[in-house]
Amino acid sequence: MSASSPEPRAAILTATALVKQYKRVRAVDGIDLSVGAGERVALLGPNGAGKTTTLMMLLGVITPDEGTVEIVGHRLPKERSVAMEQVGFAAGYLPLPERVRVFEFLELFGRLYGLRKPEAAVTAGLERFNITPLARAMGNELSSGQRTLVGIIKATLHQPRLLVLDEPTASLDPDVAMRVRTGLERLCADEGTALLVTSHNMLEVERLCERVVFMSAGKVVADGTADEVATRFGRDDLEGVFLHLAESSGAFPTADVDREAS
Amino acid sequence: MKVVNGDRVLAISRRQAYVLVRAPQRWFDVVVWPVVDAILFGAIGVYFGEQTGTVAASAAFLLAGIILFHVVFQAEVSVATGFLEETWSRNLLNLMVTPMTELEYGAGVALFGLVKLAIGVTAVSIVALIAFAFQITSLGLALIPLVGILIFVGWSVALIVIGLLLRYGQGAEILTWGFIALLLPLSGIFYPVDALPAALQPIAEALPTTHVFAAAQEVVAGNPLPWDEVGIAAASALVLAAFAVWFLTHMLAVFRSRGYISRHV
Repeated sequence: MSASSPEPRAAILTATALVKQYKRVRAVDGIDLSVGAGERVALLGPNGAGKTTTLMMLLGVITPDEGTVEIVGHRLPKERSVAMEQVGFAAGYLPLPERVRVFEFLELFGRLYGLRKPEAAVTAGLERFNITPLARAMGNELSSGQRTLVGIIKATLHQPRLLVLDEPTASLDPDVAMRVRTGLERLCADEGTALLVTSHNMLEVERLCERVVFMSAGKVVADGTADEVATRFGRDDLEGVFLHLAESSGAFPTADVDREAS
Repeated sequence: MKVVNGDRVLAISRRQAYVLVRAPQRWFDVVVWPVVDAILFGAIGVYFGEQTGTVAASAAFLLAGIILFHVVFQAEVSVATGFLEETWSRNLLNLMVTPMTELEYGAGVALFGLVKLAIGVTAVSIVALIAFAFQITSLGLALIPLVGILIFVGWSVALIVIGLLLRYGQGAEILTWGFIALLLPLSGIFYPVDALPAALQPIAEALPTTHVFAAAQEVVAGNPLPWDEVGIAAASALVLAAFAVWFLTHMLAVFRSRGYISRHV
């Protein structure tokens, strides 16, 4: 379903009027964001746009100065623990802890996410991404791509209703990236998992996400399908929009693209 | 809804166990330093005892002190280094986005910390017994409240140290060992508090550890356990614990408010 579809989806994530100020820098300046069940949304923007701070506020790791975050109806920070049972998170830049084997790492997080017996979910996850032989490898023996796959398996063990991925395919080769993309599309379609992803790979985003939210200087400057956003900025694709925003920071149109219809 | 999820607590304990088993350098804190201290202070006790003709009493006095000091030391260091391990391995963000609560994490680390403490104190006790014929269990049931208070104090200091680590980052990690070491001279472990400089004596008197060691020294001397000292120690330990919880909660709020997670990714 595209953002312009008239059919509404149940909101999994709702953030309203988020503000975060760091000393003299307003990192996030009044962000509204919602992600519906099964929706695949990309949060994009140049470095310093406020994406990471926004993600961390959505995950309850950073406290907003103003605004609210609700995940499946649970308000942060008061209901953070219950809300996080519905959330999976992986970041391409996070290493696996040393001195822990892959299977042990996944088992640990399965239990932290509330699975009483996570072994079956771990085995299935390793099989889904074709990395079963890595089960006994130590975290520091993996390539960056393998670490990313393990991170995504960790994030999906408990079948979350919201999956948040920060630069998930940054270190994957095209073949593995395609498998990850296919797996994520299937997850969202089959289980109604909402996906919120950040990436600097615009082609990847166009393939994976049905809706993109562009940020710059702490504000949302565009929100719609990839085609809608590109058209609005008079560019051929998201790459063009990204470059345009990166070059002309501070001078963006701020109207949403068809958000009212979503 | 359960306040504490036991599965999560055990999962964190298991994670800590993997680290200890697979990181030989961690055994320095757990076994090597305690054994070195036991030999050092036991030998000093024997030497001074020979000068005064009270070898057994002198060695017992110092060894009881160092063994009990390692109770509070291990309780603190095991919890604080458990947290440090997450910062060293950049695992903090992964943990913070799970449903696990701070209480569950702390309980998991403290639970395995008890295992480390048991290993360390057992090692020291064996050395004291074999090398100096000193048996810590000769203190009898008095050990139970004294050890209990020392563990409680160690955990409280660990919470303060973790609060400082959250606020100041890994630059503050020396406090993991340094903070608790401050208790060593101030707690009258090997001498009465009035041997300290006058300016330090009020500080020493305010510390729960001072009263625990004073009570232990009475028992080593063959006297009954002085419950008044135990009571003062317990009360001041409770005050310290309340402050530690408040401080950690405040530092965690600062950590979340200022976005210090960026130091750990």
